[in-house]
Amino acid sequence: MAAASGPWLLVVVVAWVLGVAAASSSSSSPGQAGTSQKFNKCMPCSRRYVADSYLDTLIGQLAQHRDLTETSDSADSCKGLDYDLDAPMLTELHSELVGEGSHRRLVYHVEFANCADAMVNFLDNYDANLVVIENLPNGVFADPFELQHFVERKVYLDMAVFGDTNLELPSALSNRSSVEIHVDLAPLASMNCNLVIDLPLHARYPPLDASGYATVEFGSPDLLLRYRKKDTVPESCSWLLKDLDAAPVEKATWRIPCGDEAHIGFVSSITFLSALVCSILIVIAALFY
Amino acid sequence: MASAAVTLPRVMLAAAAVRAAMLALGEWQDAHLEVRYTDVDYLVFSDAAASIAAGGSPFARATYRYSPLLAYLLVPNSLLHPTWGKLLFSAADLLVGLFIDTILKLRGVPDSTRIWSVVAWLFNPFTFTIGTRGNCEPIVCAVILWILICLMNGRVLQASFWYGLIVHFRIYPIIYAIPFVIVLGKNYAGPAGRPILTQWTSKQHLQSDKSSPSVEGATSLLTNLWNFLTSLITRNTILFGLLSGSMFFLWTGVFFYLYGWEFLNEALLYHLSRTDPRHNFSIYFYHIYLHHQQGFSSIQKLASFLPQLIVQLALILRFSRDLPFCLFLQTVAFVAFNKVMTAQYFVWFFCLLPLILPWTTMKLKWKGLACILVWMGSQLHWLMWAYMLEFKGQNVFIPLWAAGLMFLAANIFVMLMVINHHKFTPLFSSSTVKSASKIAAKKE
Repeated sequence: MAAASGPWLLVVVVAWVLGVAAASSSSSSPGQAGTSQKFNKCMPCSRRYVADSYLDTLIGQLAQHRDLTETSDSADSCKGLDYDLDAPMLTELHSELVGEGSHRRLVYHVEFANCADAMVNFLDNYDANLVVIENLPNGVFADPFELQHFVERKVYLDMAVFGDTNLELPSALSNRSSVEIHVDLAPLASMNCNLVIDLPLHARYPPLDASGYATVEFGSPDLLLRYRKKDTVPESCSWLLKDLDAAPVEKATWRIPCGDEAHIGFVSSITFLSALVCSILIVIAALFY
Repeated sequence: MASAAVTLPRVMLAAAAVRAAMLALGEWQDAHLEVRYTDVDYLVFSDAAASIAAGGSPFARATYRYSPLLAYLLVPNSLLHPTWGKLLFSAADLLVGLFIDTILKLRGVPDSTRIWSVVAWLFNPFTFTIGTRGNCEPIVCAVILWILICLMNGRVLQASFWYGLIVHFRIYPIIYAIPFVIVLGKNYAGPAGRPILTQWTSKQHLQSDKSSPSVEGATSLLTNLWNFLTSLITRNTILFGLLSGSMFFLWTGVFFYLYGWEFLNEALLYHLSRTDPRHNFSIYFYHIYLHHQQGFSSIQKLASFLPQLIVQLALILRFSRDLPFCLFLQTVAFVAFNKVMTAQYFVWFFCLLPLILPWTTMKLKWKGLACILVWMGSQLHWLMWAYMLEFKGQNVFIPLWAAGLMFLAANIFVMLMVINHHKFTPLFSSSTVKSASKIAAKKE
């Protein structure tokens, strides 16, 4: 299967992984359909993240994804791996934005099918992780250092942010980013095949707008199953990647207060005037001391 | 008045106990509650230190914007224990208490007054939380006070060593350069080569000291200016300028050699050009946010710099001979008029406040209390709007900005009150004052 559809699959993989849902105003039209394509791939265990070439899409280097394509397709590493295995299927995914103000959490509820014997059997034989890739809209960011704290506390296996990770810039001066979360599925059966995944997010200062609020809209995350046989030897170790074909979630929206251009005149003049008056008061107090 | 029970060792011991308890509570909170006690910056310092311990650059950690020296100081965070830095900062914070006592002792302040001044630092809730949360400012405070002690003891070389180092470390003490040079001018050293410190005395004597500047005011302005400028060129001022300048450039050069432009951009240039559009106490934040997409014209840059400059110059020219008082006012004004203002900056003047308390005629009842209430009240008012914006997501930019203006007004109110109730006392006795006091003594 993999050998026959080589070039086409390559395009689909590249387009999908690069998060076509993302900002790319690019002309690579095959990519636009990529997110919904069924996708089974593999990648060497030495490769830590799936979405780490996302940065390249942001800076428009669409043609330069050697890394991912080489490692995920042309290598022989996929040989002998069982693509048609009865891997867990997703039955439900929804996400909601929890909290108020500039610091909120995007909470995913994920549910898998066949929770009884099939799942236990699968998890007995395979190391399996759920990989969530959220392409964040402009105006919202995840703090890589905060996420690292989750990994240190072993809440998740791994988390990473790609793209613009500057935490201080306002939206107008920053680019988008995407987050990749790895969740260990080993305890899944004991959790009734339900997973709740928390992603803390923060709002950037939005561009000015007369309405007083900027609306940031989230897309749907990409969900992948990443698994490998438990007895894999390190030299020939490969992860199998299976797109879980998550249906698009209901769009979460975040209203962020923003400044109004109409304020520029009086805010700046009163600010400067106050500073001047206050400084003169101090000068007078010093002179007449 | 202090009772016999309140002695310096006891106060220090109690202060250390408070800090130890806060450190322990902080550790517990970090482990059990969602909201961390530890300052986010402390995690940044620690990561930068870990990067150095692993043979890398402290600037590998994004948002590390300090001298690499700080990261070096915190390397034991990775090697010994993560709370090492907090212990170090809290120790510096206690040291500031000791230095306050030393300075006031040198200036002849009686025990009972001195101890309450030390208490005003050690038990100020702002200061002990800042050190125990892992903020590095207590180190800066300790060095600034040590420089004052060096100057008071005539150790100009040592003062300039520390001054060059601390300006490299935190930049803002550069505002103290001119007053330091002024006090090191012609009247600095007495006949024995050591400076003579004006001793704390009763009101009457101080009133006579205060009249001395008006005698100078009788001569013409030009002559005054000429005399002033020539008085600034002495062996001590040149030594101080050269050595502290060399220290600053030496440290900056060494770290530029080691870490390149990343160091210069992050640790130095960033602070000089910092404009933050996100909300902070500064009156300028909303103006900056409103202009962040289009940039700032030179007139706007000048307009925000001018009040800062005028106030600094006025305070320096009028008060520099009463050095601790001048440094205190300069710091309050610098923070109040700065383009970025966060609560950690308040520690910069809190460490100087106890140094001026013995010379104020303001009583805690009620004027002192009024100052505290106005300052705290306007700050809490600002914090309420900031909470609405940040944690409730409400568009309250205008009230928040207005609250910033009110906080500036509160700062100015407190400064005017402090100035009006201060007994001006030059740190060093100049020859004219010395002869005047001799005459006064003879008359008595």
